[in-house]
Amino acid sequence: MINPFLKSTTRFSAYLVIWFAVSVIQLFTLYIILGMDFYYALADSLVFNILYLGIGISLWFPTKFISFENYSVFKIFLNHSISAIVTSGVWVMSGYFILIQVFGVEGFAEEFLYKSLVWRFLIGLLFYSIIVSLNYVIIYYTNFQEKILKESELKALVKESELKTLKYQINPHFVFNSLNSISSLTITSPKSAQEMTIKLSNFLRYTLSKNEKQKHKLKEEINNVKLYLDIEKIRFNDKFEYSETLSDECKEIEVPSMILQPLFENAIKHGVYESVDAVKIKLICKNEDGYLKITVENEFDPEAISKKGEGIGLSNIQNRLKLIYNQDNLLTIRKSGRTFSANIYIPSEGAKK
Amino acid sequence: MSSKITAAIIDDEKLAQDLVENYLKRHDNVEVIAKCNNGYEGLKIINEKKPDLIFLDIQMPKINGFEMLELIDNPPVIIFSTAFDNFALKAFEVNATDYLLKPYSEERFDEALAKAIAQLKNKEENTGKIKSLIEHIDENPEYLDRVVVKNNQKISIIAVEDLLYLEAQDDYVMLKTKESKHLKQKTMKYFEAHLNPKDFVRTHRSYIVRLEFIKEIELFEKDTYKAVLHDGTKIPVSKNGYDKLKDLFK
Repeated sequence: MINPFLKSTTRFSAYLVIWFAVSVIQLFTLYIILGMDFYYALADSLVFNILYLGIGISLWFPTKFISFENYSVFKIFLNHSISAIVTSGVWVMSGYFILIQVFGVEGFAEEFLYKSLVWRFLIGLLFYSIIVSLNYVIIYYTNFQEKILKESELKALVKESELKTLKYQINPHFVFNSLNSISSLTITSPKSAQEMTIKLSNFLRYTLSKNEKQKHKLKEEINNVKLYLDIEKIRFNDKFEYSETLSDECKEIEVPSMILQPLFENAIKHGVYESVDAVKIKLICKNEDGYLKITVENEFDPEAISKKGEGIGLSNIQNRLKLIYNQDNLLTIRKSGRTFSANIYIPSEGAKK
Repeated sequence: MSSKITAAIIDDEKLAQDLVENYLKRHDNVEVIAKCNNGYEGLKIINEKKPDLIFLDIQMPKINGFEMLELIDNPPVIIFSTAFDNFALKAFEVNATDYLLKPYSEERFDEALAKAIAQLKNKEENTGKIKSLIEHIDENPEYLDRVVVKNNQKISIIAVEDLLYLEAQDDYVMLKTKESKHLKQKTMKYFEAHLNPKDFVRTHRSYIVRLEFIKEIELFEKDTYKAVLHDGTKIPVSKNGYDKLKDLFK
């Protein structure tokens, strides 16, 4: 930390202005109230105040080294008391001698000066306490601000790491089962095997290149989801039908990357994997009260008692949305009869719920 | 063996079935008699056609591969074919011959098949071991979500959340739900280990009860207690069971 009075030109100017004001007050007190000679009053106020102006700057060092963290209150008080007495003494004596020796003060003025030395010493103590207190306040304030800054940095870091843990992860079983399908197709239909390899590669490329902070146009997300659905369709023949309802306008809206994928994986897992019959999967996007509402809907077999743990993917989405948009309840789910639907609400720019 | 070995492929993905079938084409001594798309179909085929060998996927609709095996009295030789690598231990517990991780090569497949054929030749020697093996190693800490049972020819899937209490009956365990009773050929020890202890407590050598379903505990005779359930049933509580309940309700 550098001396707060010298930190910037503005600060230093302010410091000079204060001393100028003090000098003027002293000048007037001496000249008008006490009726001293103007030449003497001017010399007196300038000599003493310019001296303390210099001393004041150097007082930064005792403040800095006698910190509250390292010393007891008693020690601090003792140290500063000694330092204040010495400083004041040196200050008063230097002023006295400069006035006598350099400015040749004598007679009545010299007598006045001599008599006022005690008062000046006390004022010196006052100056000392003001400047030192001010320094402490500045140190405290700067530390406080640094702490706030660090805290907010830390918060951002925590948020980032939270987002990272919520990152979408490719389901390895999907990959291995797809590779097995490709392996099978190489024997029966090499052309299809090639197509599926390319689809799987494109899907993996998109998915692996995305990070948790990025946003993408909805249409890009949907394109990737379609690659996924195409692959699942090859695996499960005609066990599901996909349809989508969305306007061109919706397609251009930015959404967090890989936010839809887990919803579709859920739909496939609970709809297609657990069902013997064909199921319908729907995507519906529309603007609703300043939000883009994205609905993924799938049919499921209500009699299938599925494995637990289905909530993790969904609560991950919920948390991610909360961290990104700073709002709760941006994901809602609904089960009715044979239909399961998950709704994601993406706030439009500046919209508040 | 003079006649051909009969095999069934049980997998919910057609391409996966095709692959096994194709790999089997080079083996004249094995004949694919059925391809099943889920555990139910598999069960039906195994009971009706009694294949010597099955290729079994784990993740399938309705009932998974393991649940299907629980419903079979005399399981055929099993080769698992799955993308899940975390069930290998469990596969060993049901005495599977091999565990193929998708995707697998033809060489690896042939190796598994050779093992299966060898095992078929001396199958009789092996079957005795199976049951005891299951009881001993089955300490998978994963709790059950559902139980599959067979009543005559009907198969029921019971959600664990519907279970009220369980009672030991000879070689079986009776599972009581609100609407019905079912018998399952398992031990109390198995259920005690596979039901979440947050929900269920073993009050007695022959009883496991859903905690929420206990209405009150009453003194029966000196040092013996009975648990009164919400439907009025009274079930015995052993000294040990009473101590457990006391801890739980503290």
